This record gives sequence, C-alpha cells and structure tokens, in this order.
Amino acid sequence: MPEVLVVDDSKVMRDMVVACLRPYPGLTFTHASSGLEAIERLSLQPYDLLVLDLNMPDIGGIEVVEFVRGQDRLRNLPIIIVTTRGDEASRTRALAVGANRFMTKPFTPDAILTEARGLLEEKRG
Amino acid sequence: MTASVDLADFLPAYLAEAEELLGAAQRHLLAVEASVRRGLAHPRAVRELFRALHTIKGLSAMVDVESIVSIAHWMETSLRHADRAGGRLPEASVEPLMEGLREIEHRVRQLASGKPATPVPAGLLERLEALEAAALGTGPAKPAPVTLELDATLAARLSAAEREQLTAGVASGRRAVRLDFVPGAERAASGITINSVREHVAKLGETVKVLPLSGPAAGGGSLTFALLLLTDAPDAALLEAAGGPPASVRSLVSEQAPAPAGAPAMPSEPELESVAARMEDEPEEQRRGGGTLRVEVSRLDEALERLAALVVNRSRLTRAVAELTAAGAPTRELTTILQENGRQLRDMRAAIIRLRMVKVADVLERLPLLVRGLRRSTGKAVRLELEVGDAELDKAVADRLLPALVHLVRNAVDHALESPEERLAVGKPEEGVVRLACHGGASGLLELSVTDDGRGVDATAVAARAGVPVPSTADGLLDVLCRPGFSTRDAANATSGRGMGMDIVRRIAVDQLGGELRLETRLGVGTTFHLRVPLTITLLDALVFECAGLRYAVAVGSVEELIDVDVARLVRPAGASGVTLVERRGSAVPLLALERLLERGRPEGRSGAGAKALIVRQRGEPVAFAVDRLLGQQEIVLRPLEDPLVRVSGVVGATDLGDGQPTLVLDLAALGAARGGAVRRPEPRQGRERAP
Repeated sequence: MPEVLVVDDSKVMRDMVVACLRPYPGLTFTHASSGLEAIERLSLQPYDLLVLDLNMPDIGGIEVVEFVRGQDRLRNLPIIIVTTRGDEASRTRALAVGANRFMTKPFTPDAILTEARGLLEEKRG
Repeated sequence: MTASVDLADFLPAYLAEAEELLGAAQRHLLAVEASVRRGLAHPRAVRELFRALHTIKGLSAMVDVESIVSIAHWMETSLRHADRAGGRLPEASVEPLMEGLREIEHRVRQLASGKPATPVPAGLLERLEALEAAALGTGPAKPAPVTLELDATLAARLSAAEREQLTAGVASGRRAVRLDFVPGAERAASGITINSVREHVAKLGETVKVLPLSGPAAGGGSLTFALLLLTDAPDAALLEAAGGPPASVRSLVSEQAPAPAGAPAMPSEPELESVAARMEDEPEEQRRGGGTLRVEVSRLDEALERLAALVVNRSRLTRAVAELTAAGAPTRELTTILQENGRQLRDMRAAIIRLRMVKVADVLERLPLLVRGLRRSTGKAVRLELEVGDAELDKAVADRLLPALVHLVRNAVDHALESPEERLAVGKPEEGVVRLACHGGASGLLELSVTDDGRGVDATAVAARAGVPVPSTADGLLDVLCRPGFSTRDAANATSGRGMGMDIVRRIAVDQLGGELRLETRLGVGTTFHLRVPLTITLLDALVFECAGLRYAVAVGSVEELIDVDVARLVRPAGASGVTLVERRGSAVPLLALERLLERGRPEGRSGAGAKALIVRQRGEPVAFAVDRLLGQQEIVLRPLEDPLVRVSGVVGATDLGDGQPTLVLDLAALGAARGGAVRRPEPRQGRERAP
C-alpha cells in the first residue's frame, strides 16, 4: 500500500493535497508540518512519494530535497514540489537539486493526481 | 480516474487558518515595529511575518482569492528586502504593511460573511511596491564583534540574519549553544521527536536555527539535528529537553575568544530567495501542526446540541424511574444503570466543554493592534500590558466578552489617560499604562481586570452630567456610568475620564453572561474595572428550587452557600430600609424575599418554617435570597431568551428540567440589583469604596 508523506506548514494545504490524491486507490498518507519533521520521518520509515512545500518553518523544501538526495536509501524517492513560488529560478533550483516535479499553487486536483500517478507507476516499474 | 475534489469546499478551513495566520502576522509586525522604534533589528519577526504572508498567499491562490494574493505578494516583496538587511525595516514601512494586513483581514471577513472579496483598493499596491525601493536603502546590519565557533558545515548554512541574531544575543549576555538531538524509532515511540524537542527547548530559550546533519551520530543513529540556541538555561536542562543522552550541548562562543577586529565571514547569498525558508520555534506553529485539529465552531455547537438533548432526556428518565420506584417497582438495577449513565454524561459534558475552550491569550491577541491604532489616533503615549497566562474560556463566552474588553481598553486610552503633556505636568511618566489581567478561578469563573493609570473618574463631574446627586460609593458611580446612553464624551470628557457605552459593557458582562462588573477608581491615580464571568454559559450545574409555587434554577457556581433560615433569629433593624437580616456565622446578611423580587404575589407574613436561603455575592457583598424549598442539583442546558420583550434583568435564560415545562434560570445578584438596587447595609464595609 503506497505511503505518501505530505509536508506543508499549512494544515489546510496538506488536507487539500490529500483530498486531491485520495482518488488514487490504496494510498495512505502521513502529514508533516515542517521540513525537520519530514526529515525525521524519512529517516525512520520508508515512503513511496513525498509531496513537499518549499516555504516552511525550520528549513525549506529545497534543503529537504538536498537531504533526501544525499541519502542512498532515499535516492529514488519520487518528490513533487508544490509551492507558491512560481518563479523560474525556484523551479530550476528545485529540479536541479533532485525534485521530480514542480507544481505551482494554485494547482488543480487533476494535475497533481496525474503527476503522482505517473511517479508512483514509474517507481513500481 | 479523475479527482472529484472541489477546492472551494476548503473555504471554511481556509478562513479559519487565514484568521490564525493574520493574528500571527499582526503580532510579528507589532514586534518588528517595537524593534524599529528602538533602532534594533528583529530578524526572527521579519521572517515569521514573511512566512505567514507567504502561506496566506498560497492558500488564497488555491481558493482563488486574487486580491489577497496580490496584497500578500507585495508585502512579501518588501519583507524580503528587510530580511536581506538583517531584519531591519525602515520605520516608514510599518504603516503600509499594517494597512496591507488590515486589507487582507477585511477580505477574509467578507468571505466569511458569504460576500466576494473586493478588489485591491486603489494605491495600496503602489504604496507597498514603493517600500521595496525604501527598503533597498537599508544596508545590511553591522555584525556584532563576537566570533562564533561553528564547524564549516554549519557555518556555510547559516544566513547573515541568523548569524547576527546569534552574535547580538551573545553581545546582550545570553549563551549561544549547539544542542544536538539524535532521533530514533524508540525515541519517537516514546514521544521524543524533533517537534517535541523544539517545543521543550522553546521554553528555555530562543531557537535561531535547526539543521539536519546526516552521517554517523551519537548512540548509533544516522541523523543529528543541530539546534543553535540563545539561552540562559543550564546544559542539564537543555539535555533533558532533548530527551537526555545521546543528546549533547556545546557552546558556540569560546570563553577566551577575543573579539575580532573585522567582521566574521558571512555567506553572500540572498536570504529568503536562496533558501526557501529558515525558521525557528514558534508556539502557534506547534499548535497548528502536530496533534492539533481545527474544528468549525458550528460542529462544536452541534455536539453541544446533541448533548443537550441527552441531558434533557436523562432528566425525564430519572423522573420516570423515580415514579416507578415510588410505585413499588423493582428498579434497583435501573437505578444503577441510571447512575452510570449520569457519570458518562458528566464525562462527555466535560469533554465537550474542553473542546470548546479557547485560550484567553488568543482571544485578546488583537488588543495590541487596537492600542497601536489608538496611540496614533489620540497622540497619547500608551503601553498595553497583558497578563493573561494560560486561562481558557468557552468560545461562546469569549465571543461575547471580547467587545466588552475592547470597549474598556478603548475607553481607557481614549478617555481615561491624559495627554503626554498633562501627565508630565502632574508628575506622571509620559507614557500611560493600560493593563489587562486575567485569572481563571477554580469556581468556574474567570476574573478579569482592566486598569489604567489615568485621571480617574470624577464622581462630581459624572453626577453633574447625569443630573443626579453625587454617588457616595463606587457601585453608585458605576450605576450612573452604566445608564443607557450616558456619555461623558463631550463637555465632561477631560475631567471624567470615561466615555460612553459603559451600559454595553455591563449588559454583556452582567445581563448576557451572568457575571459581575465592579469599579475601583481614584482621582488622579487611575481606574480599574473588575469583571467576573463564567467560563461557560451553555451547560451548567444548577440548583433547582421552588419559590411561590414555581420552580427556578440558578448556577451552582454563583451560590456561595445554602443556609436554613431560622425565623427566630431574623433581625429587622429599625431605619435600615426595611431590610431583614439573617445571621450567618456570627455576621448579619441582608435577606431578600425572592418572591417579592419576582413579583409573585403571596400573602404577607409567610411562616418561613423550613425555608432556605441561597447566599450569593452582590457587588462583592453577601446577600441571602429566601426560597421555599430546594429541589436538588442537576445539570441543565441554558437556553437564552432571544425575544427582547421577555429579556429581563436577573433572568439569564430558560431550561427544560426534563418534564417539558420551561424553567427560568436566574442570576440572583443581577435580579437583586435590578429590583432592589444596592442593598443598604447597616454598616457599609470600609476600604473598597474609593470613589469620592
């Protein structure tokens, strides 16, 4: 049963992401309200997909991606960035450090679901 | 496979979170403003303000509120420059940012009331955009002459603002330390996580930065969180906050390290752009994340309604079982079940009431903003001191109480405090103080006070204005101030120190909430308004009694004592306005006949045999209310009397005791005050009445 870690300091935003991905069968969700909490959870148990905000307390999403890609165990974890920062520099930087997808808020439910499905099925092979 | 979710469904949750974020943003902007006035930087508040706005912007985009997105975007832009400048903001930036927050708040309120958000007002975005240019002129902060001992990995990841925060903290005498926390599955299982550590550490100091470091860690882990802190706490306390070993603490400043001549190396990359965010502890973040669940008030109200129905039904059940028992039916097991059911209902009631409780500090978070506005509009120097601790009260009470407190604070600044020139002339500090204190009592009452060190209430001026004799007591003066429509705003303003609308405050505190309002004032020294309100008003334990053939209920919390009335020991002193006195532990307490106050006709000269009296505090003094007999104590659901025609002073609502007959719920103190005025005591107590 694929496990998704949804990381955003806004609870409403986390709920929105979960609601958007809910139609994908069999997903289970874990929430983290900060980058630090996300890193702690990632170090303690495996996940199949990481949906990550950029602007958060403690450390931002870019640092979380850098951390994840620095770990052998997490090297292939699919990461979707969902952010209000729609500028090209942020997109380029996020993808450069290893994010798989970059989505700008507002995104549509269909768009994030499509991206998540693609990544999960790619991972499953 | 298509997502069927409609993000517009999230509007109620969006509004709740936006309100919360706005509250945080206002607090941080006020903190920034306070630093600006002292010529200091406040990098943490600038970053928190930025982050709150950023989240508002993202959420608003998701629910398609373009005007809020635009305002938040331009506010963010100016704050980004302030962050680059080490957390320094030009003073001229504060007001446009305040205006931006007000405009966002206005639109959130519009959406909450079902209206569309209006477009951005003319000129606002230009004013916010202009801040960008103004902020650019503010150079980076000069680093304090302290060397931080950081290894290269940490040093490279510390921003200029964070470095300055640490060095400035050390320069002001605090310790800069690195606390290493190693997470683990076992620790997580026992509740020790980075979130819990941050929460505990936040009580011991200021967290400047938390960095995850991968690689072999103490205790066999592979991840370490390095928390860089400013603190006065001892190492042992910090270690304990991090769950003990393998956690470790080390200082970031060498005892022998000389102050360097030059500036320490700083990363040159921009701040908020380069790293998406770097934040430290913030209590509201803890509340919003982790195990906290936000619930709409309407859902809590619904839970309360269901509980109310259960409470009424239980009363009916109790009555039915009592009738069966009286008829000789075997009801022992039924009675046992009923008792258990009663316990369960009480537990459920306590749980629902706990759910409805909000922190008083959160309720009052807008007051600093109010005072800031008054400071600007009145030109008075004033400091607001809040001492509210962890007290909590029911959301419904909080919603009603807030306008009364806003009114008292506004009046204190607007009318009671003198101008800076007047204060200096009478030997007072130029800056006036308004203090709001609050303590939750164990008796289910919340005690609040609003104190100012202004001119005090001039009873003579107030009496002249009202055309009444000069009141001889503080209660009498309060009565005059609380006359509907009474105003001292114009002619008497400069001498009375009190504005209009005190009747509204009393109506809220006394009539609506069944509480108490008292006044203490000294000419030239200041005024304090004391309020006592119940923590919750919807579900309460009540004493049910009979008087002149009818049943009534009264909140248990408002009754100080129940006494038997011994007719032989009643005293009716001559010249005491006909008030009968009853002895209570050696002292005489006025005894009022409740049926007379209720205007329930009854022949004079009742026997009083077996009669009881309920003792309540009326304006701080004990008063006994004679009733015919007590029927017992039970939990009731208070229904307010909505019809203004039947709204009567001293009647706080009605309840159903389970037999379908409405029963009035009384506030005896208010009833006594409304019908009998202040009870004249043979020997008024000295000391409390300070009004001239």
